[in-house]
Amino acid sequence: MKNIKKSFSYPIIFMILVTAFFTLVLSLLNYTTKDVIAQNAQIDEWKTLLYVFDVDYPNDNDKKIEELYKEHLKPFKVDDITIYGAEKDGKKLGYAFPVEGNGLWGTIKGYAAVDENLNTLLGVDFVSHSETPGLGGRIDEMWFKDQFRNIDLDRDNKNYLEYRPAADGNVDAITGATLTSKSVKNLLNQDIEEFKDLMKGEDLNGK
Amino acid sequence: MANKKVKKIFTLGLWQDNPIYRQILGICSALAVTNLMLNSLVMGIGLIFVTSFSELTVSILRNYTPKHIRMMVQVLIISSFVIIVDIVLKAYYPSMSKALGPYVGLIITNCIIMGRCESYAQNNKPLYSFLDGIASGAGYAIILLIIAFFRELLGFGSIFGIQVLGEWFTKWTIMVMAPGAFFMLGIVIWIARSLLPSEEEDSLKGEAVS
Repeated sequence: MKNIKKSFSYPIIFMILVTAFFTLVLSLLNYTTKDVIAQNAQIDEWKTLLYVFDVDYPNDNDKKIEELYKEHLKPFKVDDITIYGAEKDGKKLGYAFPVEGNGLWGTIKGYAAVDENLNTLLGVDFVSHSETPGLGGRIDEMWFKDQFRNIDLDRDNKNYLEYRPAADGNVDAITGATLTSKSVKNLLNQDIEEFKDLMKGEDLNGK
Repeated sequence: MANKKVKKIFTLGLWQDNPIYRQILGICSALAVTNLMLNSLVMGIGLIFVTSFSELTVSILRNYTPKHIRMMVQVLIISSFVIIVDIVLKAYYPSMSKALGPYVGLIITNCIIMGRCESYAQNNKPLYSFLDGIASGAGYAIILLIIAFFRELLGFGSIFGIQVLGEWFTKWTIMVMAPGAFFMLGIVIWIARSLLPSEEEDSLKGEAVS
């Protein structure tokens, strides 16, 4: 045994065998849980969409969330971008669209919702980000997200969102996470502007 | 004989040679996840699982592993088990997976696992190594829970998410932030060290900090 272990090829073969075994185990596990994980991600996205329109949902009842999503939201496509139209009690709520941009450490992805006339921001939520937990990661906290409800978008300049204490500030930044806060503001301002441009020429009746 | 050995493994892992306050290992995650008891519990269970099974596997393979590539093999084994924990949490406990965020993946950098694999599993039989993993992991988990108990109680007024202190209680927000973790960890190490017999001080040599 001692001599084999010192040979040149033994460590290589040993390493290959161990790697192959663990890779096999992991890929099997990955394969068997793929659907469940995809389902979880889907429910997460539905929750996000319900949240941006301020529709109440039970946090741990997946079936109910699916029902609510199907009842209120309807996806449609404009220029390959999936937009969700929302209705509640026969009344049109508005549209949700994906927002995306660079954060401090990686891409921040989420959804924002505006009302039918594109004049009011209804809500914002983030699906994924890689900001520092406890600092930039606090964009996931309710107090931060809830600030983006019912914000007037009918402004002369294109800075729809501005942090206080700026003169026209309408939301608060996160202490200790200046760069993440700035990124969020910039990506939202830019994506709201782009969405407005996108919707200008669209006929939205019935959508 | 066997019973004595098992007993010794557990007294060492849980108390005399506890990874956190004796060996000062695994501090990074001890500071990070202890603001809620539930997070600490899941993190502790994850670590017990990874440490025990990594030690078991390393120990089974120890006679076949060439000495000079043993670190590579250990890292491979540890990371496989960490990925298993990550996938299982994502699939069956998504809310916890979200709450722990990057820390699940960071179990792999926890010095306790590599430390125990290198110092214990490399020289001991599989069963004992497995038990040693459980003992060390449990020692870590218990300290995490003690720290989390005080941080959550004083910071949120709750235990395991259940509100126990009423409206009258002014929350010590600092306890759920980073400084609170440092204070609590310092106090725990201080108390534990003053309770331990001092003659063992000499055994503390050449240890890594993570």
